[in-house]
Amino acid sequence: MSEAVVLDAVSKVYGKGRGAVAALREVSVSLPKGGFTAVMGPSGSGKSTFLHCAAGLDTPSSGSVRLGGTELAGMNETKLTELRRQRIGFVFQAFNLVPSLTVEKNVTLPLKLAGVKADREWTAEVLRRVGLGDRAGHRPAELSGGQQQRVAIARALVTRPEVVFGDEPTGALDTMTAKDVLTLLRETVDELGQTVVMVTHDPVAASYADTVLFLADGRIVDSMSAPSAGAVAERMTRLGAYV
Amino acid sequence: MFSFALNTLRHRRAAFAGAVVALFFAAALVTACGVLMDTGLRGKVAPERYAGTPVVVAGDPQSHFLKHKGNGKTKKKAKPNTARAWIPASVADKLRATPGVRSVVTEVEFPVLTAAGRTSGHGWESAALTPFTLKAGHAPARNDEIVVDAGSSTALGSRVTVMTPSGPGVYRVVGVTKEKLDHQSATFFASGEARRLAGHSGRLSAVGVWPASAAPAVRDAVRGTGTGAVVETGAGRGRVEFLGADSGRIKLISMGAALGGTSLIVALLAVVGTFGLAVQQRERELALLRAVAATPRQLRRMIGREALLLGIVAAVPGAVAGLFAGSWLHGEFVDLKAIPDNLPPVIGPFAPIVAVAVTVLAAWIAARVSARRVSRLRPVEALGEAALSPARVPWLRLLAGVVTLAGAIVMTIVLRSIHTEPAAGPLTPATALLWATSVALLGPLLARVLVGALALPLRAMTRTSDLAAANLGTSSRRLAAVIAPLTLMIALAATLLFSETTIKGAAAEQAKAGNVADYVMGPAVPAPAAEAVRRVPGVKTVTEVLHTRVRATSTPYNAQGVTPAGLASTMDLDVRSGSLNGFGDGTMAVREGLGMKVGDRRSFAMADGTPVTMKVIAVYRRGLGFGDLTLPYSLVSQHVDAPFGTVLIAAPGVPRATVAKAVAGFPGVGVQDGVGAPAKDNSTAVNYLSLALIVGFAGISMVNTLAMAVAGRSRELALLRLAGATRRQVLRVLRWETAVVAVIATALGSGIALATLTGFSAGMTGSASPHIPPLGYLGIVGAAVLLALAATALPARASLRTAPAEVLAARE
Repeated sequence: MSEAVVLDAVSKVYGKGRGAVAALREVSVSLPKGGFTAVMGPSGSGKSTFLHCAAGLDTPSSGSVRLGGTELAGMNETKLTELRRQRIGFVFQAFNLVPSLTVEKNVTLPLKLAGVKADREWTAEVLRRVGLGDRAGHRPAELSGGQQQRVAIARALVTRPEVVFGDEPTGALDTMTAKDVLTLLRETVDELGQTVVMVTHDPVAASYADTVLFLADGRIVDSMSAPSAGAVAERMTRLGAYV
Repeated sequence: MFSFALNTLRHRRAAFAGAVVALFFAAALVTACGVLMDTGLRGKVAPERYAGTPVVVAGDPQSHFLKHKGNGKTKKKAKPNTARAWIPASVADKLRATPGVRSVVTEVEFPVLTAAGRTSGHGWESAALTPFTLKAGHAPARNDEIVVDAGSSTALGSRVTVMTPSGPGVYRVVGVTKEKLDHQSATFFASGEARRLAGHSGRLSAVGVWPASAAPAVRDAVRGTGTGAVVETGAGRGRVEFLGADSGRIKLISMGAALGGTSLIVALLAVVGTFGLAVQQRERELALLRAVAATPRQLRRMIGREALLLGIVAAVPGAVAGLFAGSWLHGEFVDLKAIPDNLPPVIGPFAPIVAVAVTVLAAWIAARVSARRVSRLRPVEALGEAALSPARVPWLRLLAGVVTLAGAIVMTIVLRSIHTEPAAGPLTPATALLWATSVALLGPLLARVLVGALALPLRAMTRTSDLAAANLGTSSRRLAAVIAPLTLMIALAATLLFSETTIKGAAAEQAKAGNVADYVMGPAVPAPAAEAVRRVPGVKTVTEVLHTRVRATSTPYNAQGVTPAGLASTMDLDVRSGSLNGFGDGTMAVREGLGMKVGDRRSFAMADGTPVTMKVIAVYRRGLGFGDLTLPYSLVSQHVDAPFGTVLIAAPGVPRATVAKAVAGFPGVGVQDGVGAPAKDNSTAVNYLSLALIVGFAGISMVNTLAMAVAGRSRELALLRLAGATRRQVLRVLRWETAVVAVIATALGSGIALATLTGFSAGMTGSASPHIPPLGYLGIVGAAVLLALAATALPARASLRTAPAEVLAARE
């Protein structure tokens, strides 16, 4: 299996001198194509920084990040933006949607910004897949929280990106709604062969992934394949998350 | 992308309402000023008294100057005269002999004062120019007969006393005309009598020629006379009939440009402020766009497009409103006699088109300025739920702030060495604007420092003041956005208002200190009245004073003509160098600060365009109270339309009644108590009107910035209430915040005004202490603070009406 994202000795230090804080310390990892990877860790473990560096939202202090063979280090903000909108999809915890735009316009926003004509059939297909085929004309304020997250997933999928990154995508949802959203993400991996990387602190959410990476103190300390919620929770307890 | 911008605007109507309001008023004000300028450039004064005459020959209504440019080249400049130039009677004789000319009518015009007011006197021969015809009675044949026009209330057959420059006379009304004129009234005398009363022997004020086809021949003939007379046909006849028309038009152009330019700068500052807030309030949305797919350039372009749309939406109706405002403003200026009432406003397409273009451009610039910070927005910030951290002040803004601050300081120093009103007039508000701009740019930094200082006492006071201090401390950027317009309003209002009072105060002071006469006679005294007083036993000196305006190329001067004999006993000009001994023909005294010194020879044009060269024999200090130049009375009286002046009398020991008795036969002449400073052609009232417009506009932008700032905080206010604050407490927190903002803005605004006014006062009056009436100052500050409090409280009350949980539930 080939790699979608490769991080090589990636470090990220915030601040300078004595006040400097290392959020990532020489992290090296390969995320496989067509896989569903969850990144877990206690608060302050560096999991958000990991996601930002891997997705080109932030630049590492040292080390190399390669997206499908393209080196991200050294790219300027405009190049990074163009790369993101062509090859990466995002689902954030909240504030995913532009309130003034309809569901359909929110979904096709990255295409519009890239100056690409939206493929109507594909857009309709994506909206149907996330279960919002009949809501295309609604505005975000008219949708529930779960529906809004599904719109965000549709938007992340519409550019047929190489990787979809999720930053606590279920963090603001109740358990039942969260289950729907995670099932949806799982389906995109199984049915569309989509690569998904998700940061979470919820063992249940992590159990939907193929692989779980455990971060602590800026380092990858362990990984687990075919995880169950119980095993992940137990592992987290040992990392000190629930002490 | 355009549809996207449209979408956002539709959705975020509230956030952009402030910018729309500011742009609407900017477009309206610029259009109104444009209408004034357009009227000045293209306005035509229709002839009235010369309406029935196809070709009018008259003295040149303009003075001509050769302006020397640095490189040895010269440029011809023409400036309007304020008094009529007379032409030799021989011109009429020559025209009579010109082939193609059927008839020639000569005209003399002179001021006539009657109990009913001022009219102009003419010889009956010139009735044909209009033409005037008799309704009743007969034409004046004898020297004591007159004909009045249909607008006069004087009855046929009655005897009236009228005053002309040669003194009073009693005349019998022997005829009344059928016609009357809209903008003047006419009294006709027998031709010989008219010539006598007009003075200027052997000269005419105009010649009418028939028929129209003779115009080219007339032009050739007149050119051959070498008199400098002009030949006018059609609408051009209005120029020579109404001398004020040309200077009125120039005044409209300069007033329109100054007012329009100032309002545009105020608009730019206001719109930058409102756009800055609008961008700040949607930071999260913009960050999301950045994270999803938008490059910084795209975001900046998007905001620029929003501004273009907004600009058009606001500026088009604004420009339409401006057309109405323009004609209203024109009417006001006419009422204030700043421009002649027969110069109708020109409502053309240019003013609104230019105003829309300029306003849209201003909006776009403002948006691009506020969008700069978007480039520095980090997409990661969209991810967090926490409030976005305040960014540090960008260095470019700091740099611009420091540069404008340096500019303001330099301008303030330069003001100290500017002694003429035409230069100080526009420079003073410009200096205040520059100061205010630097405050706007350095606002976040200033806000942080000043709030830090004010927060200490606030923190210790009450529960709500403590919260207000905390709020203020964490939001220096938002604070800067509301401090700037309030500072601008206070600084501009105080500078404009008090530069006026400073000049007036100093002028009144000088006039009072310089008047050493025992009695003052006015307001319109003819020479024979002064002569009558001179003959009263015990009267030592009678000084006749006549005010006029003269001009050296582009510099106009206020001048007074005074009779030299015994001047020291009636008028103390506070001579600094030279001496007034030997003051007489060919010499003059000048006020200091004009760049002239004793011994200099200066050439200039009198009010009617006659060139003269005078030698400076003295330089005096009390220029504001008496005039820039002091010339011999005999010179000035020959070159004004109405040689009616004031008279200063030194007559120690002579009772007032004795003096009054001497002039009893002169209607309208009386002994007054004091002497006023020379009137400055109504510019005070005009300045106050412009001041009201600009300050009103600054006020509007201040109110809408504050309202926007509060409206953008509805979530925060809801949170406060959920945390246990009552509505009253929330309002009290806001009131504390506004109070701090008001204190800071008052300090900054007053500081700016004081710095500018001190420079202005040092330059114009020679004393560095400006004249500031305390009530006026309190009024400005009070009005600004009340407006600010209202602008905070009203939108806050509106947002508190919604239940807090509901506000929070409404996701962004």
